Amino acid sequence: MAKKPIIQFNHVMKQFDDDAPVLDHVSFEIEKGKFYTLLGPSGCGKTTILRLIAGFTEATSGDILFEGKKINHVPANKRPINTVFQDYALFPHLNVYENVAFGLRIKKVKKADMDAKVKEALSFVNLKGYENREIAGMSGGQKQRVAIARAIVNEPAIILLDEPLSALDLKLRYQMQYELRELQRRLGITFIFVTHDQEEALAMSDEIFVLNKGKIQQSGTPNDIYDEPINRFVADFIGESNIIRATMIKDFLVEFAGKQFECVDQGMDPNEAVEIVIRPEDMEITSVEQGSILVTVQAQLFRGVHYEITCMDDAQNTWLVQSTKKVNIGEKIGLRFTPEDIHVMRLNESEEDFDRRLDAYGEDENNAK
Amino acid sequence: MEKKSSSLANLFLLFIFFILYAPIFYLIFYSFNSGGTMSHFEGFTFDWYRELLHDTRLLIIVLNTVVIALLSALIATITGVLGAIGIRSYKRRQTRNTLLSLNNILIVSPDVIMGASFLILFTMAGVRLGFYSVLLSHVAFSIPIVVLMVLPKLMEMSSSLEDAARDLGASHWNVLTKVTLPYIAPGIFAGFFMALTYSLDDFAVTFFVTGNGFSTLSVEIYSLARRGVSLNINALSTLMFVITVIFVVVYYYLASRSGTKGANLRR
Repeated sequence: MAKKPIIQFNHVMKQFDDDAPVLDHVSFEIEKGKFYTLLGPSGCGKTTILRLIAGFTEATSGDILFEGKKINHVPANKRPINTVFQDYALFPHLNVYENVAFGLRIKKVKKADMDAKVKEALSFVNLKGYENREIAGMSGGQKQRVAIARAIVNEPAIILLDEPLSALDLKLRYQMQYELRELQRRLGITFIFVTHDQEEALAMSDEIFVLNKGKIQQSGTPNDIYDEPINRFVADFIGESNIIRATMIKDFLVEFAGKQFECVDQGMDPNEAVEIVIRPEDMEITSVEQGSILVTVQAQLFRGVHYEITCMDDAQNTWLVQSTKKVNIGEKIGLRFTPEDIHVMRLNESEEDFDRRLDAYGEDENNAK
Repeated sequence: MEKKSSSLANLFLLFIFFILYAPIFYLIFYSFNSGGTMSHFEGFTFDWYRELLHDTRLLIIVLNTVVIALLSALIATITGVLGAIGIRSYKRRQTRNTLLSLNNILIVSPDVIMGASFLILFTMAGVRLGFYSVLLSHVAFSIPIVVLMVLPKLMEMSSSLEDAARDLGASHWNVLTKVTLPYIAPGIFAGFFMALTYSLDDFAVTFFVTGNGFSTLSVEIYSLARRGVSLNINALSTLMFVITVIFVVVYYYLASRSGTKGANLRR
């Protein structure tokens, strides 16, 4: 934390009229040069955060700081921040060159410099030689690239991307994910990317903020968030998961589906009601004798890379399993998982408490060694 | 069956157009008559046009008409564009619709009523009837037309375009001149030409508010026609008709060009 944050939100609230607040006392810090993702379902406030950083809207209360200075009332055109819009927002009456040069013309950059910069920006997004093309004749992917070039040519401190890939088809979206990530590494500019697509978020980000109902539910690296979701919402939103009600008997021992299992979580009260998460890909289908739990196969779908199998145990819990092995519907099978595969979530735990608890037993592990 | 009915429909369409255009072409036809009446055609001549060109009074009136049309269309376009931008800036749908309705009422309300009310207004305000009263009233009835032509274009423009311009460092003025106005330019041109044609052929409003020796073509033709039939009027009307047709063609050219541009965008 020695690095000074480039953007800082202090208890920022945003409310329209008398409706429920879109953002409810949101605080976070963004460090320079990283790829951040704001992830959440539509209406969770992620785009509002982006608009606040860009300066298109003002916070109802709370402070927004840029490099330590409050920028609440700095208008959008005075912020060293550029945005790539969901609908690209390219100017239809200008060609590619003029679109990219728009910001430079406003800054009255010399013609020779401008030519060089536009050329460089276009080559960054693999659109060399497209200068004189009209916007109307371009494909979605090309427009996307022009929009990115238009943002990077101004050499901003931060680039905001508002669901920029959502209008592209699947293949192109995957390709653009690689290109964006690569671009961010090469330029070293801070990227703040907004999406509702958890795969995109996991693939590209250094850090993810998971949002729901105007609050940050959890922040962390993609691995942290995937492996140790803080609550049911995060576990459910990020990837497929089996979320089962359970009881924490004591440290390292949890009971669910009528059986007690060894686990790696601790720091809860004895016999506390909790939820556990097991990812479908972490479970292995075995014989009835070897299984940790015993289930009956109810449905099976072929997903290409694997089969998606829905099963039910004797306690009426539904389990989703991913396996490359085919099973028969109605068959009784065993599911095997290790203590590390079980992740225990306390009900209504705040992110601070969650981090503290995780840190605490991180220390325990260190002490044990 | 289908073919027969469609040819019948075409015939009907032709018939309707014939009825609509016959008087105009009848008038145009006799403007070349050397006989001096509209009862029978004696021989082809340009005399009436020649006479028209030598009638300085009439030429001044033509000039008046054109100056009024251009000026009023220009002023109305500027005001109307600002008005449309203003209407769009209201976030509440109800306010917006109310303003738009107030705008549209002015278009559908009878010209005679407009003219009479302008006359009352100008006499009460002590404005001398003449060039300025005509200009002002033409501006007034043209503004709603411009608003109506420009507003759809403005509404169609995504607000993210303006956000993007702001984001790239543009001031409010830059956003207006570099993004908004170029985007709605086809609407502005269409509005300008509509205002121009409305002003050129307006009779009722002008008839009320003109005076002091000032006259426009439509008013002049009316008074000439009352004094007695002269083929001068035919010649003059023919010229006006031709000019109007040219304006309409230009307007549709601009409109269709902006239309195809829009279609490309959607693709």
